[in-house]
Amino acid sequence: MICGIDLGSRSVKVALMAPDGSLTFHKFDTVSFYRQHGRMVEGQLQVDLAALGLGVPEKVVATGYGRQTINLKGAEVIPELKAHVLGAVHQTGLTDFTLLDLGGQDSKVVLVSRGKMVDFQTNDKCAASTGRYLENMAAVLDIDLAELSRHYRNPVDLSSTCAIFGETELIGKVVEGHPVANLAAGVNYTIFKRIKPMLHKLLTDTIVFTGGVAHNQALVKILEQEMQVPVVVPEYPQYNGAIGCCVAGS
Amino acid sequence: MQKVGMTTTIPVEVVYAAGCIPVDLNNIFITHEDPRGLVEEAETAGYPRNLCAWIKGLYSTTLQNKDIKTIVAVTQGDCSNTHALMETLEMAGIRVIPFAFPFDRDYDLLKLQIEKLMDALGTTWDEVYRVKARLDQIRAKVQELDRLTWQGDRVKGWDNHLFQVSCSDFDGNPDAFEQRIDAYLAELPQKEPIKADLRIAYIGVPPIVDDLYDYLEERGARVVFNEVQRQFVMPFGIDDLVEQYRTYSYPYGIFYRLEDISREVEKRQVDGIIHYAQSFCYRQIEDMIVRQKLRKYPILTLEGDKPSKLDARTRMRLDAFVEMLR
Ligand code: SF4
Repeated sequence: MICGIDLGSRSVKVALMAPDGSLTFHKFDTVSFYRQHGRMVEGQLQVDLAALGLGVPEKVVATGYGRQTINLKGAEVIPELKAHVLGAVHQTGLTDFTLLDLGGQDSKVVLVSRGKMVDFQTNDKCAASTGRYLENMAAVLDIDLAELSRHYRNPVDLSSTCAIFGETELIGKVVEGHPVANLAAGVNYTIFKRIKPMLHKLLTDTIVFTGGVAHNQALVKILEQEMQVPVVVPEYPQYNGAIGCCVAGS
Repeated sequence: MQKVGMTTTIPVEVVYAAGCIPVDLNNIFITHEDPRGLVEEAETAGYPRNLCAWIKGLYSTTLQNKDIKTIVAVTQGDCSNTHALMETLEMAGIRVIPFAFPFDRDYDLLKLQIEKLMDALGTTWDEVYRVKARLDQIRAKVQELDRLTWQGDRVKGWDNHLFQVSCSDFDGNPDAFEQRIDAYLAELPQKEPIKADLRIAYIGVPPIVDDLYDYLEERGARVVFNEVQRQFVMPFGIDDLVEQYRTYSYPYGIFYRLEDISREVEKRQVDGIIHYAQSFCYRQIEDMIVRQKLRKYPILTLEGDKPSKLDARTRMRLDAFVEMLR
């Protein structure tokens, strides 16, 4: 069994790959993962995988934001974008596409050609196009993420400059009396507006959309309409990086 | 001897010829024990947050170094923020001598600018050429170090960067600087070869972070070309001083710089290019042109903001880039 770990900013995603290639998944809150299950041993983070219910894998491959600061003991570490590309190729069977990954705090666009990364863009120092932003905005609208991700028609125009000021702006729109559906559509559109320049630079005739935000159906619709290419969401968008780690280790 | 601050590379021969000590404000800002503090100081004084940190650093650096009462400010060919920098420094009682690199690289205009600088500081062409001859001897050694960077495997990217940027003012003491470079070159054969198979070109203004080179080397990639830094060394071996600063590419347009860049990346056989731009700098716009003109090469555009170490995002991007080049 191979264990792939994607140390994300919000959650730690784990994929276990059995010898027959079948996959099982686990997800942990990032902070409690480090606090409750990790221990620093000689500058390296030791995680008790067995206690986490992950058994004793023969190999551990890790990636993610956390890899910058934490050395996971006994794990082979691979670059984040590599993990995502491997995961996307494995999950979709495609080899030429534009990978869009929207996670808790990061947005990434990768140009994949013949199964390899050939160029990429990532967001700057702002999280206005990510999962965290969507959660905040849903909270302002007092709806859940599932509801938020249903709406893409008649979007209310919102600027997309900042995740925090965006909340104030949204409250202003609520006061103006717009229907929730249009407000939700507006929120989804701001995500698109932020990533549009990156997508344009690296667009191919297929977009593979991964990361937690890929569960947002409205955004998938918006992407298809605006970019005029099919958008493929693999079966486990959120575990894509962890799956990529398993692929790298197999 | 009087110290004369400078905001970027200027004909430094003139400053030495006038019997003054040139001080590249960039170098003392960035090697200050708390460069971030200097940036904050300028912000406290009223400099906007969304403005390039270099300018803010230069402002506080000038004011902190009480022995710098005169600065030469490059008003054309570098940064228009320098205009306001000059004005705020003038307010603080600093004598400012403007210097403009003509946009079209006009010989006569440049010559006039150099002569005005000579008048302002008080020196003659004879003196200037005498200094030039001396500085050219030292420059030749730094050029040799640069050659060894790409034709050998022992010069670290950071050392290449450091020796070359120091050629803007020769650390205010050419003789001592020469001794350092001599010592470095002498020690080279005993150094461990750097194990890095990927060759990277670094283009754009020098980085505000200092661990980029080492980080790349740890990952098996090394910088074998520092574009702007190399320009500070006046790499073309030209006798005519005006022509030397006309050929020097940094203060002129991106298209002229790209001629030099294209030539060097070809010659130095690089695998990829890092284009560094400073947050809030107009040069970020030129990334569009760089990407088009150097399309053959994989390019990573990096942005630096405050003086510090590489942040997690930038490291992630560097990892991905190195991985991509493999
Ligand atoms: S980095 Fe750009 S904005 Fe900053 S001083 Fe240099 S030219 Fe000006």
